[in-house]
Amino acid sequence: MRTLAIVLGGVGAGGVAALLALADPAPQAQQAAAVADSIAAPVISDTAALRGPRQPIFFRHDIHAGQFKIQCQYCHYSVAVSPEPGIPSTQTCMGCHLVISGSDSASRTEIAKVRQAWSEKKPTEWVRVHFIPRHAHFPHQRHIKAMGPNACATCHGDVARMPQVFKVNQVDKMGFCITCHLERNVSRDCSVCHY
Amino acid sequence: MDDETPSTTIDRRHFLTVLGTTAGGALALSGCSTDNVQKLVPYLVQSEDQVPGLATWYASTCTECPSGCGVHARTREGRAVKLEGNPEHPINQGKLCSRGQAALQGLYNPGRIKAPMARSADGTFQEIGWDDAIARLAAGLGKAGGRVAAISGAGRGTFSDLLADWTSALGGRLVRYETFDDEPQRAANREVFGTDQLATYDFGRARYIVSFGADFLDTGGASIENSRGFARSHGFEDKDVAKLVFAAPRMNLTGLNADQWLPTRPGSETALALAMANVLLAERGGEPAGLAGALASYTPAMAERETGVPAGTIERIAREFAAARPSLAVAGGVAGQHSGAVELCAAVNVLNFAAGNLGETVRFGADLPAAGGLAPLAELTRAMGAGEIAVALVHEANPAYTLPNASGFAAAFGKVGLKVSTSLHLDETAALCDLLLPEHHALERWDDLRPRAGVYSLMQPVMEPVFNTLPAGDVLLRTARAAGGALARFDAPTYEAHLRSRWQALATELGAGDFDTFWHEALRLGGAFRDPPASPAIALSVSGGQEARYTPPAFEGEGDFVFIAYPHSMLYDGRGANKPWLLENADPVTKITWHSWVEVGPGAARALDVRNGEILELTSPHGTVEAPVYVYPGLRDDVVAMPLGLGHTQYGEFARGRGVNPLDLLAAPTGEFVHYLSTRVRVRKTGGYRKLASVEGVPRQLGRGIAEAIPLAAAQQGLTVEQAYMEAGRGKHEVNTERELEAVHGWAEEQREATEYGDYRGEDPQWGMAIDLAKCTGCNACVTACYAENNIPTVGEAEVLRGREMTWLRIERYWEGGEEPGDPVSARFVPMLCQHCGNAPCEPVCPVYAAYHTADGLNGQVYNRCVGTRYCANNCPYKVRYFNWYKYNEKAWPEPLHLQLNPDVTVRARGVMEKCTFCVQRIRGAQNHARLEDRPIRDGEFTTACAQACPSDCIVFGNVRDPGSRVAGLQQNPRGYRILEDLNVRPAIAYLAKVLHPVEA
Repeated sequence: MRTLAIVLGGVGAGGVAALLALADPAPQAQQAAAVADSIAAPVISDTAALRGPRQPIFFRHDIHAGQFKIQCQYCHYSVAVSPEPGIPSTQTCMGCHLVISGSDSASRTEIAKVRQAWSEKKPTEWVRVHFIPRHAHFPHQRHIKAMGPNACATCHGDVARMPQVFKVNQVDKMGFCITCHLERNVSRDCSVCHY
Repeated sequence: MDDETPSTTIDRRHFLTVLGTTAGGALALSGCSTDNVQKLVPYLVQSEDQVPGLATWYASTCTECPSGCGVHARTREGRAVKLEGNPEHPINQGKLCSRGQAALQGLYNPGRIKAPMARSADGTFQEIGWDDAIARLAAGLGKAGGRVAAISGAGRGTFSDLLADWTSALGGRLVRYETFDDEPQRAANREVFGTDQLATYDFGRARYIVSFGADFLDTGGASIENSRGFARSHGFEDKDVAKLVFAAPRMNLTGLNADQWLPTRPGSETALALAMANVLLAERGGEPAGLAGALASYTPAMAERETGVPAGTIERIAREFAAARPSLAVAGGVAGQHSGAVELCAAVNVLNFAAGNLGETVRFGADLPAAGGLAPLAELTRAMGAGEIAVALVHEANPAYTLPNASGFAAAFGKVGLKVSTSLHLDETAALCDLLLPEHHALERWDDLRPRAGVYSLMQPVMEPVFNTLPAGDVLLRTARAAGGALARFDAPTYEAHLRSRWQALATELGAGDFDTFWHEALRLGGAFRDPPASPAIALSVSGGQEARYTPPAFEGEGDFVFIAYPHSMLYDGRGANKPWLLENADPVTKITWHSWVEVGPGAARALDVRNGEILELTSPHGTVEAPVYVYPGLRDDVVAMPLGLGHTQYGEFARGRGVNPLDLLAAPTGEFVHYLSTRVRVRKTGGYRKLASVEGVPRQLGRGIAEAIPLAAAQQGLTVEQAYMEAGRGKHEVNTERELEAVHGWAEEQREATEYGDYRGEDPQWGMAIDLAKCTGCNACVTACYAENNIPTVGEAEVLRGREMTWLRIERYWEGGEEPGDPVSARFVPMLCQHCGNAPCEPVCPVYAAYHTADGLNGQVYNRCVGTRYCANNCPYKVRYFNWYKYNEKAWPEPLHLQLNPDVTVRARGVMEKCTFCVQRIRGAQNHARLEDRPIRDGEFTTACAQACPSDCIVFGNVRDPGSRVAGLQQNPRGYRILEDLNVRPAIAYLAKVLHPVEA
C-alpha cells in the first residue's frame, strides 16, 4: 500500500478522487494529490542527467500531463476499451502542434521534429519503456475499469512529473502484479494472464 | 522462454511493437526479445476502423472453390489473422471448411509472386515495374490483332463479366475453366429435364438419401451447406435419422458417413439407379406412364449382375427409398467421372423424378454458375498448338497441372507468342508464361461473386496488399487505357470504381433505393442477399418409348485393377498443396499427411502381399507412378485409388516435388470432361518401403468404448449408451472383468472428493463442451480452425513420421467391422481434444505446477512454467498433450506466413508442452468485454474456434454451471457419455453417442 500511495501522487488532477476512493488510500496520498494540481514543469538544461531511455523526440510528459493537465486518455486513446493502451498517432500530435510551436527554443526544436515527421510521413519510432513478457497478457481495460480512468500511475509511476519517462516499477516482473492482486484479493489464477 | 528467442522471430509481442504505419505498411522489424530495445511505431494517421489490441472484422467472400461462401476476416493491427464463416451468408451460414480457412495461408504464402515479372533473354524471370508490365501486355495485344485468348477460373461476377467484354472487344475468346465442373450432371439435366441448370439439394428435408458416389459432404459442391442439411436429417434431430446409402467402389468421406455401403463395380451405378427406379415405379403404380416401360429391362437381377450388389438388397433399398418422402438421390462426383457419367446422372435424375423429389429436395432455379466444360479448352489447345493464338492470358486457373499430361496443353501453350499469367503463385502454368502480373489475393481486393441466384457476394480489402501486386481488374483497365483502340471504352479509372458502378446498377435492379445505404449494408453483410427464386416446374423431357441407357464403361489398358483418381479432401484439385495447414491436416479418410498414397483393398493387399507403406508401381497405357500403399477397408478389391492434388513441379516450396500426380496415368480428355475413372493399371511391388506419415493411432477401438453408438430404436426410447448395451444383452466393456469394474467404481467413489479440486468458490463458470457424434462427419474443419486460432505449428513430414504432429484437436477415425472378408465396414469419427478433466491425471505429476486446474474448470497449461519433463503427456490417457521438440516457432512460419499468427496467443518455444486450452484467449476476451459492460458472459456470446467452424454444428461450448446454457442441456442428454469414464478423470467434454440404423444385408 505504501508504494501505491507514493505513485498516486503524480496522477493528473481530474480523476484522482475517484481513484482514491477505489484504492482506499492512506491520508498522505491526499496531500500528494493536492501538490499535483500545481505542477510547473521545470526547464531542463541537461538532458543527459535524466533517467530513462532517450527518445527520438524529447516529448515531455511533465509539460503535457503535468503542467497542462491533458488527460492520459487524450493520447492513449484505447486504454479503457482494449488490452492495448494505444500510442498516439502523429496526427494526434499535429492536432495541437499545427498551431502550438513552443514557447522556448528547446521546445521549438522538438516540436519542429514532430512537424517534420508529419510532413515526411515518417512515424516517430519511440523507444519502449514498459513491456511485459510475451507469455503474459495484460488487459489494460480491465484495470482501468476496476481502478478508474487515472489509475495509470499505479504501474507507470508519476509520469506527469517525468520530463523523460523511465520505468518506476518492475512491471515486467510477476511479483509486481501479484503483490497488487494479493492486496486487492483479485484473481491469482495463472491462466488469467498466461495463455 | 525468453532467452532463446532470436531477433528474427515474430510473434504476439512483435505485432504489438509494430503498430503499423498507414499506406504501404513498411514493417520495421526490430528485435523482439524482452532484453532488446523495442520500438513503438505509432500510426501516422489513426484508422477509424481499428483499435489496437482489438480485432476488426470484415465481411468478404471465399474464392477457394466455386461454392461462393461468405467469410468474416478477423484482422488485428491491419493484418488478417483468421477466417471464419459469415453467419449472414445464405450459403454457408457462419461455417467454413478447411480449404476456405486456409485461404489465409494463400494470402501470406512465401511462394507468392512478389512483383510483376518478365522472362528475360536467359529464360529467368526478372522483376519489372507495373507500368512496364502493362505496356508490354498492351504492346502484345496491339500486335495480336484479335488472336487473343483468356483462360479464366474466376467465379461468376463483375470481374468475369469484365474479362468477357474485354476479350470480346479484342476479338479474342474467353475460355472458362474450372477443374471440377459437374459437367456430366449438367449434360444429364439437359437430357432428362431439358434444362441447362444444376440443381441444389436439400439434404435437411430428405428422409432417405442414396449417393451414387457423390461426395457431397466433402469435395462435391457446396459441402458446408450440404453438411448443415445432412446434420439436420441425419443427426438425430426430431428423434429420427434419415438413412444414407452410399453406392460406389470406393468410400469417400461421404461414404464413411453412410449407414450402408454398396460396393458397386466401377461404373455400374447406373444399373443400380435404374433398377431402383424400376422397383419404385412398380411399388407406386405406373406414373408417369411410359417411364416404367423405359426401365422394364433394368430389374434388380440385372443390376445384381452389373453391380455385384445382391438383388434383394437393391429391392429393399428401392422400397425404403420409395417409402420415405421426400427422399433424395445424388450422383456424380469426380471419382465417378467415367465415360458413362452422363448416363449415371441421367439415371439418378429419373430416379429422383420417379420418387417425386423434384421441387422438394431437388430444386432448380438457383442458377449455379458453370465454366462450360472442357470442349472450349480443347479447341483452344488445338488453336494454340496450331499457332493461331498470339496472346494468352491465364487467370485463376492452372491447366498445365490440373489436366492430364496427355492432353498436350503445356506443349500447345508453349507455342503462344505472349503468355501472361495473373496467378498469385508461380504455379505450373505461370511458370510457362512470359509475363507475370500477380494479382491481389481475394482478401486484398475489391470484387464480387454471384454464386447463385439472389446471392450477390461482395469482397472488400481487409488489409493492405502484402506484395507489389495489382488486382486483375485493374490490369485489364490499365491495359485498356494503354492499348486504346477497341479497348478504349473501358474507361473506369479503377476496378473498384467499375465495381461500384456495377453495384449502382444492381441497387437499381433490386430496387434498393439510396445507393450509399445499400452499399454500406452490403459491405457489412458481405453482400446483398435476396430470397432464392421459386423452383421452376421441371418436366421429364424423355419421350415415352425411349429405353433408358446404360453402357457399362470400358476401361482402357491391361491390368487387374481399375484406377480411381479422386479429389483430395484438403488439397482439392491441387490448389491447396502450397498451404502447410492443408498438407499437415490429415486426409479425413486415410489420416495420411504430406504425401501421396495408393489405396488397395484388404483382399487385394493379401493377394498382392503388401502392407502399409510398401511402394507399388502403377502402370497405365499413359504413364507410371509410384506411391506407398495404404490398405483401405472401404475399397473394392478390384480397384486401386489415388488422391489428386500432389505431384506439383512448381507452386512454391511446400508443393514442389511432393508426392505424385495420378493424372499422369490418365488419357487425354475427350468430350466435355476429364474421365478420372477410365483406365486399368498394372500393379507391381517395387520392393521399396516408405513409412506412411499418418496421424492415425490404433485404427480400432478394441473395446475401449471411445466412439460409442446407440441403435436408433434405443435412442428414440431415450436409453443411455449403457442401457442400450444392457438391452442388447452385453456389458459395456469387453476388456474389463466384473471384478475389475467393481474395483474401478469403488476407487472412483473414494476419489470423489478429490475431483472437486479447482472449484474453489463454486461461483466461477465451469467451461465444458458437448460433441454430438451423430452429427460429426469427420471433415476436419475444426482442426484447421484450431491451427489458425492457436498458432499451432506445422511440423512437416519428417516430424509427423516420428509422431510429433501438434494437432491439439484431432479427429480419430475408428473402423467398425470389416475384419473378415464380406463383413461390412463402417467408420466412426471422434474429435479428440483435451478433455479438461476435473480430476486430471496430468496435473499432479507436473513437478513445477505448469499443468494445473483453474477455478473456471480449465486444465491450464502455463507455458512459462513448463520445464518440459513430459510427465503430463505420459500420464494423459487421451494423448492430447503435444511437446515442442524443436524451435517450431522459428521454422513453421517462414516469412511472410508469420503475419497470420494470432496475437492473442503465445507462440510456444522449444521444450514446452502445449495442448487445447478451450480457446482460453477467447474466454478471457469475452470476460474482459463483459466486465466493461458490468454483466456476466451470455451463453453463446463466444465459442471456441472448433465449435465456430463446425459445419454440422456438432460441437457446443459453454458454461455447464449455467442451467440455461445449450451445453448444459446437451450434457444431460441420455446419449451423453464421457470417454474413458471409468478412469474417474471427470472429463469436461460429454460426447453424444452416434445413432445407428440396424445393419441389414
